[in-house]
Amino acid sequence: MEAEKNLRKEISEKLKDETLRDALGRFSEAYPIARAKAYENAGDIEALRDALRQMKIDTVARIEEVADRFEAEATKRGAKVFRAKNGDDLKEYLVDLCRKNGVKKIVKSKSMAAEEIDLNPYLEAAGITATETDLGEWIVALAGQRPSHMVMPAIHLSRFQVAEYFSKELKEEIPPDIAFMVQAARKELREKVLQADMGISGANFGIAENGAIGLVTNEGNARMVTTLPRIHVVIIGYEKLIPTIKDAATILKVLPRSATAQLMTSYLTMIAGPTPAMVKRDGKWVEEKKELHIILLDNGRLRAAHDDKFKEIFQCVRCASCLNVCPVYTLIGGHVYGHIYAGGIGAILTAFFHGMKEFEKFQELCIGCRRCMTVCPGKIDIPGLIEELRIRNVKEKGLPFLLRQTFENIVSNRKLFHSLLRLASVGQKPFQSGKLIRHLPLFLAGLAKDRSLPAIAAEPLRDRIGKITKKIDKPDMRVAFFGGCTIDFVFPETGESVFKVLQDMNMEVLFPAGQSCCGKPVIAMGDVETTKKIARENIKALEEMNPDVIIAACPTCTESLRHYAELLKEDPEWGPKAETTANKIREFCSFVAEEYAKRGRLTKTAGGPKVTYHDSCHLKRVLGIDKEPRQLLEAAGCELVEMKDADKCCGMSGIFGVKYAELSMPILEQKINNIRDTGAEIAVCACSGCMVQLQGGLDKQLPGVRMKHVADILAERIEEK
Amino acid sequence: MNTIGEPWQRHFPTATSGAHLFPEFEMRAKAVSGEVFRVPDATAARETLIRLVDDVGAKKAVVVESPLQEAAGITEALRSRGVTVYTEPTDIAAHAETSDIGISGVEFGIAETGSVFQDGGAIATRLVTILPPLHVVFLPSANIVPGITEAFDIISQSFDRGYVGFITGPSRTADIERVLTIGVHGPSRFAIIAVDETPKGGEA
Ligand code: SF4
Ligand code: SF4
Repeated sequence: MEAEKNLRKEISEKLKDETLRDALGRFSEAYPIARAKAYENAGDIEALRDALRQMKIDTVARIEEVADRFEAEATKRGAKVFRAKNGDDLKEYLVDLCRKNGVKKIVKSKSMAAEEIDLNPYLEAAGITATETDLGEWIVALAGQRPSHMVMPAIHLSRFQVAEYFSKELKEEIPPDIAFMVQAARKELREKVLQADMGISGANFGIAENGAIGLVTNEGNARMVTTLPRIHVVIIGYEKLIPTIKDAATILKVLPRSATAQLMTSYLTMIAGPTPAMVKRDGKWVEEKKELHIILLDNGRLRAAHDDKFKEIFQCVRCASCLNVCPVYTLIGGHVYGHIYAGGIGAILTAFFHGMKEFEKFQELCIGCRRCMTVCPGKIDIPGLIEELRIRNVKEKGLPFLLRQTFENIVSNRKLFHSLLRLASVGQKPFQSGKLIRHLPLFLAGLAKDRSLPAIAAEPLRDRIGKITKKIDKPDMRVAFFGGCTIDFVFPETGESVFKVLQDMNMEVLFPAGQSCCGKPVIAMGDVETTKKIARENIKALEEMNPDVIIAACPTCTESLRHYAELLKEDPEWGPKAETTANKIREFCSFVAEEYAKRGRLTKTAGGPKVTYHDSCHLKRVLGIDKEPRQLLEAAGCELVEMKDADKCCGMSGIFGVKYAELSMPILEQKINNIRDTGAEIAVCACSGCMVQLQGGLDKQLPGVRMKHVADILAERIEEK
Repeated sequence: MNTIGEPWQRHFPTATSGAHLFPEFEMRAKAVSGEVFRVPDATAARETLIRLVDDVGAKKAVVVESPLQEAAGITEALRSRGVTVYTEPTDIAAHAETSDIGISGVEFGIAETGSVFQDGGAIATRLVTILPPLHVVFLPSANIVPGITEAFDIISQSFDRGYVGFITGPSRTADIERVLTIGVHGPSRFAIIAVDETPKGGEA
């Protein structure tokens, strides 16, 4: 709890940091454009990403063999290789090495692994000065901070702040002029490099074939650090190893483009074995063979490598593009994530390098929007891995008491759950005048104190079924509608629209009364057992009616029902049933678009309202549905005006939108501004979670614009006819 | 002396390399603030270099020889221009830091990225390329490969040990407010003199 309080405090501080907000805001606007441009001459991006992913998958599958070869080849060429189990191992080895060689001054070029194990303070304590030579790293070190971004460590600081740190360090007035400051840094740091006894570098890759390490840099400091001092120490994590020299090309095709939107950085350097150095002996320069030490750092990496799911983190090349597009990171920056690895991938890496305790704090900062997956060159399923970590965490430690009680006793007990929802509609305490949280109404209401969300409807959809069901004699199809909590209890009118649209196509629509919550909020918190219980009940209710198809008008429900097959696959009784359900579930828009097309109704018409469409993260990026809703809107005669960043998260994602309202709100605000700019009368989406969020935002900030589900628009069109 | 380990020239021409890629290479190199001068022969190469020397008012130069430079008589030309030139590794170590210009040869260029590939196995090469504010390289203009992949086809055949790499434009940073600033630790100017004529008699 203490940790949670600190995190919230830090979040609200970051949200107030104008410099940070401004820098990240501008950057997140510029990055996608710059990235796209950098890939223009690269050929098929998907093929490049697949190639990287596959190469890394093949490597991690035989990581020991690759590491052995790397060690053997590097040793053969004269390097000394040391394998460090953890940070302590590494630090001891290094300090010992410094002692033996009389090293007092070290210069470093960027090494995330060194940051990860807090190397500098340890060296400092041993009487060794280590100076960062990468400009950003140096600035952050002078500021006494940690990097806030994997590629741009000082992105959170303004030139004015940098000038202050410089003035203090250099003991002279340094003006906040960027070119001047860069020159001042050059002068100061060059002196340090020339005097250093040892250079420490990281590595972007290590090649098993010839024991080489590769460095991808822009400033030239890595070339100096690896060239000038007589001893060179490389700190490299196991995940950086690749089998062959040619595999480096696979990385280099994407890394600079994704990381800095460059086709290539100023310097790519590959070093195999010690090379000569120039050393001053008795006032004279002599050429000597350098000492080259390579420290292979484990620190949790090999455990990940042997984990069926988490070996995926070996596909990460630390390009940080996942941060650059992440709606949460781009609001609050990297410091909030506690350690040096920020963003969603940071939370996962932190779990392995620093332990689960650290992960617990930051995992909630991923809202599962999946934007990162569209850019990650290694194609890592970041939100999927986070969910998996949550599941494991719950298995190990159980849920917090209140949440467990809620899930086990209430959400999985449909009758109780629904009567509570009904109670909420009459505005009883403790439900605070009908506040609702996406997918998991009420029980977390205590967490919802910062906002008001749409009220529970007076009459849920399940009570309206008799009125809205049309008797159809010879139906073309029998459809079961899975409403999900939100449509059932908050947006029953949308449920009515779904009935209307389907019945209009001569389909019989059934509403299995035994259906309950889809289970998403429960699994999202890592509670697998309760989710299974919920799944079995839903399957039972749905299959009793033996429908031809099952329709959900919410991507999350669709996904959850589809996932039942995997969830129950080891259950001999329920496994096959779950499979049947999973095969029948269809998302509303894509299903209706298909049926409209069959009936020749999926053609553009005119005369409808001016609308704009918001892509739900899960609808677009999980289910891959983004054209169909638009086609349907145009078929209904709407004038569709695209908003900016239509597929950017609206900020409502499960518990996050509620618990971190302060974070969710600015994300929503951007969305509302983009809607406003279109001049549309109606904002449309096809996800009940987004509806909750957008409705709330529109009510407050843009009352003239209404919010509707695609089904509502289609139903209105039918009525007009 | 530990010099360049590999006769990289033996790889050229490859099935896909050639001067036809030069325009793309030049465009990409210039896009990242590289200066590119394509010249027909040794004489023109020498004149181009002298113009650069005059431009920066160079007094002191560190030079690592390459076949193209030798053919163009670069070192002598510099000396007759009154520039103090150091070519011995120990002298280069002593003077690179205070020199106005560093000169060396590179093995080939990459059209996709505007990069040049250099074998930096010799310590003198690395000092010359990284310490002075202006770095000038000599490149045979036919030695251009299409992309990173083709570059690594060559590198993987020859890079066994040593220190090799790409140089793509001058040293740069965007670490303060993401404002691009040229010339941090390495040279602030990077010039490529690409020569069409291959030097006679040399190994190239
Ligand atoms: S899924 Fe969304 S919130 Fe989570 S890390 Fe990726 S971009 Fe960020
Ligand atoms: S997870 Fe993917 S996008 Fe993020 S840093 Fe790693 S490789 Fe880059």
